[in-house]
Amino acid sequence: MEKVLEVKELSKQYTKVLAADKVSFDIEKGEIFALIGPNGAGKTTTIRMISTLLKPTSGDAVVAGNSIVRDAAKVRECITYLPDEAGAYKNMTGKSYLRFMAGLFSTDIDTINRYVERAERICGLGDRLKDKIGTYSRGMIRKLLLARAVMTEPKLAILDEPTSGLDVLNAIEIRKMIKQLAAEEGMSFLLSSHNMLEIEFVSDRVGIISKGHLLVTGRADELKQRYSAQNLEEVFERVVNGNEIL
Amino acid sequence: MKFFNLLKKELGELITPQTIISLVAITAMLMLMGNLMKSTIKEAVENEYSITLSDRDDTEFTHKLAKALEASGAKLKTVDTSGDDYSAILKDADAESLVIIPEGFTEKLENGERPEIISVAGMKSAAAMSNVMNSNSGAIGLISDCISATFAEKAGLTAEQVELLQLPVDVTEQTVVKDKNAPVSTSSVMSSLMMKNMILPIIVFILIMFTSNMLMSAISNEKIDKTLETLLSAPVSRTAILGAKMLAAAIIALLNAVVYMFGFSSFMTGATDSVTEEMGTQLVTQYISVDEALERLGLTLGVTDYILIGAQLFLTIMICLSVSLMLGALVSDSKQSQTMMMPMMIMAMVPYLISMMADINTLPTAIKLIVYAIPFTHTFSAVNNLMFGNYTIFVGGLIYQFIVFAICMFFALRLFNSDKILTASLNFGQKSKFKKRADNE
Repeated sequence: MEKVLEVKELSKQYTKVLAADKVSFDIEKGEIFALIGPNGAGKTTTIRMISTLLKPTSGDAVVAGNSIVRDAAKVRECITYLPDEAGAYKNMTGKSYLRFMAGLFSTDIDTINRYVERAERICGLGDRLKDKIGTYSRGMIRKLLLARAVMTEPKLAILDEPTSGLDVLNAIEIRKMIKQLAAEEGMSFLLSSHNMLEIEFVSDRVGIISKGHLLVTGRADELKQRYSAQNLEEVFERVVNGNEIL
Repeated sequence: MKFFNLLKKELGELITPQTIISLVAITAMLMLMGNLMKSTIKEAVENEYSITLSDRDDTEFTHKLAKALEASGAKLKTVDTSGDDYSAILKDADAESLVIIPEGFTEKLENGERPEIISVAGMKSAAAMSNVMNSNSGAIGLISDCISATFAEKAGLTAEQVELLQLPVDVTEQTVVKDKNAPVSTSSVMSSLMMKNMILPIIVFILIMFTSNMLMSAISNEKIDKTLETLLSAPVSRTAILGAKMLAAAIIALLNAVVYMFGFSSFMTGATDSVTEEMGTQLVTQYISVDEALERLGLTLGVTDYILIGAQLFLTIMICLSVSLMLGALVSDSKQSQTMMMPMMIMAMVPYLISMMADINTLPTAIKLIVYAIPFTHTFSAVNNLMFGNYTIFVGGLIYQFIVFAICMFFALRLFNSDKILTASLNFGQKSKFKKRADNE
C-alpha cells in the first residue's frame, strides 16, 4: 500500500518539557489513524509538527513524499489541518470564509469554485452560509471548518478532536462522512480524540500516546484482544497505567 | 493572487461599518469644533468692543469719558450700581464684565492725584478661549488715553507731543535665523509657526497609535479566535501572511491619516483664520507679511524637505508595524492586547509632549540621548530640524530609524517564522505553566 504519511522518530523538546519523544508511525492511503492519549500527552505537539506549524527538534515526517523539515511548503499543499477549538473569522459570511480558504489552496477560479461547491454540499448549512459566522452556533462553526478541511481533497486531513462541540446526531454524521471520504476518495485521516467510542467506530488503526511516547499502535480489535479488554477505553487505561507502573 | 486574497481578507477585517462610522464621526466633530472656535473667537472679539460702564461719579468729565468710549466705536452700555457685592452687581447688570468709575474720581483727578477705576470681570471656566479677551482692558486703555489727553491739554501739549509721550520709541524688530534675517518680531514668527506646525505631530501621534493598535489586534485576534493555526497550515508562506497584514494596516493607517488631516486642517483653519481675520494686525508687521518673513528666514519647507518628511513618516510607520508584530505575537488573550499598547503609547507620548514644550537639542545631554533613543522622537522633531537647518540631526535620525526598523523587522520575522508565534505568551507576575509543572513534580 502507498504510504501517505511516514513519521520517523519525531521529537520535540520545549524549554523544559520533552513533549514528543521519538514518535514513529505510518498512515496508508485511505486509512484513518487516530492518536489517543491523556491531556498533555503530546498529541497536539505531534500533530502540529506534521502540520508544519512547529519545527521538530529531531526526526522527520514525510507527507506524500515531502519532508516536513525540508519541504514544509510542499507538505502544506497536500494536507489540511483542523485544530481543536478552532474558530473562523466572525465578520465573514460562511461562504466568503470558504472562498477565502479555497483561494489559499488554488489560484484557479474554476478550482476555487469547485472547492466551495463541495464544501457547501458537505457542511449542509444551506442558506445560513450567507450569514456572518459571528451568528453561528459552535456546532455550525465546527461543521463549516470540517467542510473546509476536506473541500480541497487533501491527501492527508489532520483533524484534532473533529467532533468536539457537536451534538450526537451531528457527530455521527461527521464520523460517517470521514469514513465515506476515506473509502470512496482514498483520503487519509490523522485524528486525535478523547472520545474512545468515536475512535473505535471511525478509525482503522489507533496509536496510544502518553508523556510524549507513542506506546502502542494497532487495529482497535487487535488491541482489545492483546490487552483482553472489552473496549478501547479499557485498552487505553491498561496501556497508560501499565506504562506508568513501568 | 494568494497574497491579494490575504490582503482582501485583512482589509475586510479592518474596514467594518463601525470603523467607517467612527472615522466619519471624528472628522465631522473636528470640522464642527473648527466652526465652534471660529464663533468663540468672533464672540470674544465682539465682546472687546462692547463695554458696560457704571458711572458712580456722574460728573461732566465722566460723561465726556463715556462719550469718548462711544466715539472709539465701542458698544457702550451704562448701568447704575451701588455697593461692593460685585457678584450681584454683575448679575444685575447682566454683563460679562463691567467698569466702575467710583465716586470722587473727577475730584481726585482735579487734585492731581491718580484716580481709581474698578474693573469687574466674570469668569465662567478655565478654558483658554473663554477668558482670552477681557473687554475691560480695552475700556481702561481708552479711559487712560482720555485722562492722559486731559492732563496733556492742561499742560499745554499738542496731540503729536502726547503721541510721542505714549510711544516714545519706534521699535524695529529683526529676527535672525542662522545667517538670514527679516524685519519681523520673533513672537509673530513663533505664533505663525506654531499654528502651521501643530497638525503634523497630531497626525503622527494618531498614526502611530492607530497603526500599532490595528496590526497588534490583527495578529492577537488570530491567536485569541484560534484562526492562526489554520491560516499557518495553509499553503501560503508566513512572510506573505505577515506582508498582507502589514500592508492592510498601512493602507488603513494612510486612509485614516488623510481623513484626519482633512478634519484637522479644517479645524485649524477654522481656528487660525478667525484669529488672523480678527486680529490680523498682530500677525503682520508694518513692513512685510509673516509669510514673506518666513520665506526670507528660510523657515519654509521645500519639495526636498517634504520628501524627507515623507520618508521619515514611512520609516516611522514601518517601525510601528514591526514592533506591533512582535507585541501582537506575544499576546494570548484580549486583556493582554490592551496592556501591550502601553509601550507604544509611551514611546509616542514622551517625544510628542517634549517636542511640543521644549527644543530637544537644548536639553541636558543625558536626557537628550534618552529622548533621541526613542525612534519616534526623530519624527516629531523632523519639521523643526529641517526648518532650522539641523540636517545632521535629521539625517542621523533617519539612519537611526532605519537601523531600528531593520533590527525590529529581523526579530519580528524570526518570531513569526519560529514556533514562538504559537507558543509565546507573556505571564506578568505569573509562573509559567512549565515552571508550575516542574515544581509539582
